[in-house]
Amino acid sequence: MKGLELVAKAMKMEEVERIPWIPFVGCHAGELIGTTATEYLKSTDLIVKGAKAAVEKYNPDGIPVTFDLQIEAEALGCKLNWEDDNPPAVISHPLSEGTKLEDLKVPCSCKARIPVVMEATRRLKDEYPDLAIYGLITGPFTLALHLMGTDVFMKMFEDPDYLHSVMKFCTDVSKFMAGNYIESGADVVAVVDPMTSQIDPMSFETFVSPYVTDLFDFIRDAGALSSFFVCGNAEQNIEVMCDCKPDNVSIDENIPLDFVKKIALEKGVSFGGNMKLTVVLLMGTTEDSQRDALECMDIGGKKGFLLAPGCDLPMATPAENLEAVAELVHNELLQGELRASEAKGSSVEKLDLAGHWDDSKVVIDVITLDSSSCAPCQYMVKAVEIAAEKYGDNVVWKEHRIKEKEGVQMMATLGVQNIPTIVMDGELEFISQIPPVEKIQDRIDVYLKNKN
Amino acid sequence: MNDKLSTLAACIEFGKINKAAPYPPQMKGQDGADEITKQLLDEGVAPGDILSDALIKGMEKVGEKFSKNQIFVPQMLMSAKAMQFAMNHLKPFFATGEADRRGTFVVGTVEGDLHDIGKNIVAMMVEGNGYEVIDLGVDVKAEQFVAEIEKNPNCFIGLSALLTTTMANMEKIVSEIKGKYPEQNICIGGAPVTQDFCDKIGADSYNPDPQGVVKFLNSVAVAS
Repeated sequence: MKGLELVAKAMKMEEVERIPWIPFVGCHAGELIGTTATEYLKSTDLIVKGAKAAVEKYNPDGIPVTFDLQIEAEALGCKLNWEDDNPPAVISHPLSEGTKLEDLKVPCSCKARIPVVMEATRRLKDEYPDLAIYGLITGPFTLALHLMGTDVFMKMFEDPDYLHSVMKFCTDVSKFMAGNYIESGADVVAVVDPMTSQIDPMSFETFVSPYVTDLFDFIRDAGALSSFFVCGNAEQNIEVMCDCKPDNVSIDENIPLDFVKKIALEKGVSFGGNMKLTVVLLMGTTEDSQRDALECMDIGGKKGFLLAPGCDLPMATPAENLEAVAELVHNELLQGELRASEAKGSSVEKLDLAGHWDDSKVVIDVITLDSSSCAPCQYMVKAVEIAAEKYGDNVVWKEHRIKEKEGVQMMATLGVQNIPTIVMDGELEFISQIPPVEKIQDRIDVYLKNKN
Repeated sequence: MNDKLSTLAACIEFGKINKAAPYPPQMKGQDGADEITKQLLDEGVAPGDILSDALIKGMEKVGEKFSKNQIFVPQMLMSAKAMQFAMNHLKPFFATGEADRRGTFVVGTVEGDLHDIGKNIVAMMVEGNGYEVIDLGVDVKAEQFVAEIEKNPNCFIGLSALLTTTMANMEKIVSEIKGKYPEQNICIGGAPVTQDFCDKIGADSYNPDPQGVVKFLNSVAVAS
């Protein structure tokens, strides 16, 4: 199925055949094409080239145009400090430096780098009509922080009416950006509001909920999907975030995925995340990355979950780690093997097979992922079934699916490493490759002879 | 104990800055940290006692509530602001050495990171707990920390990062400092930072809240 369809299905809480995968590539795309963050974020050509490199390498179902929460702030007059290996940072806050709120206007779509990202969106949508293109906008509260500085927190108590006016203005800016992204071809508008992780649920409901709820309604009316990104520990706010009715919430490793899953599914909102950005993707190995992705996928499940890193990928994230995740996402067999090898460790309770063997019969165990969904498994099980037929009661065979706990235990107990594998009387006979029926029968004959 | 000291502790705990401040509603119209500190000094209460019996007590409450997720950054900033107003009265006395310092804490956000809300709160809490704080500000490079260590050989280092994208610089700074001063105590923090990350980059202490930093500094300062 096409990436966009998969993403849309997951966000509409329908069961999917494969979990969609969205690498949040921002400046990291610049690294992929050998440019600095500064050059990359200022050029339509480089943003498009970087996103294309990421699509080729990471085989995603959706991709952000870019990841930069300073675009709106810059267009509204905040000064930026540019870095070569990071997104820029806002270093001036007009509303705390003399500018009046009434002097700020929703910017023109020609302002600062707004046309750069909108043109990149158009070109990427043309290039990849089947992928979910994500347009990322700065959430209203984070934009208010850019405009006001730390005052935003104190105004909650000292001048709540003023903060409401600022939030209203920031929401107008967010709607303007969302509308532009949608018009340029974005399929999903992600409202990225990391600063909300720093406030309590009651302040969130007072100063954030009314505005972002309105914003998500606006995006829905425009026919696009929406996601609410929050980086940082926002555990306390997941419930109120879901109440704002986005199609999706996306969180980072600071919040346990199972916690978010429980709340999101209760609220009928899809959820995404939360691969570990630094300790695993940036600093870990390809195997660490696959194991982390698998853990997220196993917790997330195939209903309403999208696999993604927790937030913007650090620029220097090794490409091979993300390629390894992409390989895992698209290879169910690999997922099964990894799951089983994980289970082989200390945690799996081995089975007592004393009563499993028989003095007069050959016992065949076929370890599979699941013969109904994995083609090699299906052929191997079929071959065993046909081969065993003529022996009648002298051969007993059984499929053990490692999607089930018993299958994992059987795999660990028999010492099986690969899937699918045929085991006869406890000996590993055929590994991975599907043998011709006669070969299986030859081996059955040997085992039977030994019994008589 | 002086009633005013406990009232001042409450002003810090609930973020009551001065009489004019509308927050918190339950203390509207009452004297705040600003006025009460002044009154206490006028009554002849020792600055060290005001610090330890009112300000630190109030801040400890704030720290506890923060680590239990009962309050968040906005409430903490209000307490910090109240504390600042009180400290403005006390600072002249400390500068003349009337109160002993427990140690020196050198703090900054890491190279590339300009977000200093968390760092400022930690600096204030550490200062309020009797340490001299050298705040290097934002976007601080390894060399600047190293230069401070040379000037203050027994100091503690605090690094802050808000972005996952700048955490890599935190690793770089820790390894540069430890390369020159293997015994140097470094604590790290910031929204995306975890204990796992701290272990990986070889820093000495990670704390999810300012109170944890103070506890860590106290434990090391007492031991040495």
